[in-house]
Amino acid sequence: MRLRPALSSALLALMLASLTVGAAQVDLRAVFRDPQAMLVLLESRLPRTLAVALTGAALSVAGVLIQALVRNRFVGPDTSGTAEGAALGLLAITILWPSSPLWLRMIAASLSAMVTTALFLAVIRRLPVREVMLVPIAGLVLSGVLGSVVTFVGWQTDLMQYVGTWLMSGEFSGVISGRYELLWIAALAAGLAWFSADRFAILGLGDQVATGLGLSTAAVMRLGLAVVSVVTAMVVTTVGMIPFVGLVVPNLVARVMGDNLRASLPVVGLAGAVLVLACDLLGRLVIRPYEIPAGVILGVLGAVLFLWLLHRRPAHG
Amino acid sequence: MRRIALSGLLAATLASLPLAALAQDVTIDTAQGPVTLPAAPQSVAVYDMAALDTLTAMGVQPTGTIDNILVAPLRAAAADAAPVGTLFEPDLEALAGLAPDLVIVAGRSAPQLAAVSQVAPAIDMSLGTDLVAEARARIEGYGTLFDRQDRAAQMTAELDTKLAALRAAAEGRGTAMIVLTNGPKMSAYGKGSRFGWIFEASGLTEAVEGLDQSNHGQAISHEFIAEADPDWLLVVDRGAAIGADGAGATETLRSALVEGTTAWQQDQVILLDPAATYISAGGFGSLTATLDQLTAALTDGAQG
Repeated sequence: MRLRPALSSALLALMLASLTVGAAQVDLRAVFRDPQAMLVLLESRLPRTLAVALTGAALSVAGVLIQALVRNRFVGPDTSGTAEGAALGLLAITILWPSSPLWLRMIAASLSAMVTTALFLAVIRRLPVREVMLVPIAGLVLSGVLGSVVTFVGWQTDLMQYVGTWLMSGEFSGVISGRYELLWIAALAAGLAWFSADRFAILGLGDQVATGLGLSTAAVMRLGLAVVSVVTAMVVTTVGMIPFVGLVVPNLVARVMGDNLRASLPVVGLAGAVLVLACDLLGRLVIRPYEIPAGVILGVLGAVLFLWLLHRRPAHG
Repeated sequence: MRRIALSGLLAATLASLPLAALAQDVTIDTAQGPVTLPAAPQSVAVYDMAALDTLTAMGVQPTGTIDNILVAPLRAAAADAAPVGTLFEPDLEALAGLAPDLVIVAGRSAPQLAAVSQVAPAIDMSLGTDLVAEARARIEGYGTLFDRQDRAAQMTAELDTKLAALRAAAEGRGTAMIVLTNGPKMSAYGKGSRFGWIFEASGLTEAVEGLDQSNHGQAISHEFIAEADPDWLLVVDRGAAIGADGAGATETLRSALVEGTTAWQQDQVILLDPAATYISAGGFGSLTATLDQLTAALTDGAQG
């Protein structure tokens, strides 16, 4: 596949651009002579670049997994109740234990995201298999219901603005060294999925086929569930939910490469990183030195890409 | 029979006498233009924290206000007032039960003007971004309305003294940047924004000019603060204003980049009282408290 080297070089170019673009005016060529330039590079630029790339990659891989789990192309971590679940967990721990350390909040968010994603899987199992569009609709309904619970609790406890930083913005302006490292856990979880890529590909063929091929579907389901939840929870707690990445990127890649997940997962990760990085760069450039959240730009771009996907004829039959 | 009727008439006349004396109309400025009202309303329901602040400072006790008051000094002042809903959702039944002579809405509750007007006469006393001038106009308006012109003049004089003190303290103190933190995110506010009055009142210059004038500020990064390198950082913690816990403003700001700024190096980071600057901004007590805090901090150069 020629896609991989192309995407790799695009990612490299974007990362270099991301390192040189920011509110501070420093000459990065003088980084070893100018301590301020070094500081900006290490404290702000590098962490931010990594955070954006990791988020994009991890969310896209999570998107592939959840699409394999539900055998439907039109869902993503942001339309299956997962993000709202993570926010619900965060909200609960914030109210019950306001001084809780960050790691505990992460765990609460992950667990609660897992529960709501499992709930989503349980709901769609009861749907008629033929009705393809029911699955994303069920996901949207579940997201809506959970979202309204989050809103209600947030409203009652005067935490609405705080909830907004998780569910509505998806921006990287607060990222500096020491405040994004949890995203490595998300990337690690996504990387873990790659080792089981073949199993997820088989799972995508359906329960009966998968069981017939000797796959323990329950175990693979559990692994997928864990990865999707951990990735979503880490992203939501660190930078806020970013829409459309997990939905659009897997579809675009599958259109070119098909469903051989072992081959396509790295490409999905790369493409996700490229997409989010491009959006974040754009957000940093258009109203420099202020910022537009990457999530806002992706909301627009993602919607256009999604409509295009819906209206084009399927690539494979 | 005739006697009873006569005495009844007499009683009615007597009863209406004080009313007639009170019912002189006054005209005051509101956010919706001048409004003519019966003077000295006895029972007032207040749906705005700045209005509540100024009224209690004037010695007017509201008979009704919102349930959940987030500004600590006002909570005690309004302890006797009946709860009549929230800023965003007035409880119209409770309000009707209270039957106030006047309802005051402003700011966050301003969109409810039409709704509360169905129950009782209501005015919109919102404050614009020219906060000090508007606050002064409101003090004058309330003074006329409640027939407390003396106290109003006293309050205006006090405000003037404090403004002069701040201007003197801020003289030649350099540039400042107003940052609002909300959880892990930050935004900056310039002249013409909701906190812009601080620049006008103190005479401090903006570390970065031309910031967006919208109510919500501009999303900024740590790099942005480092690049602007303000002499003074004025910080409002949005989370603390609404009672949220979690990482405080200082924790949000703390980074190697912000620590390199003049403001941080010289201990010139002023943590403004979030309730006074965010929720009841422009109220007399809040305004004077903020002016005092700024003056003290600028004079000592120490943490406010």
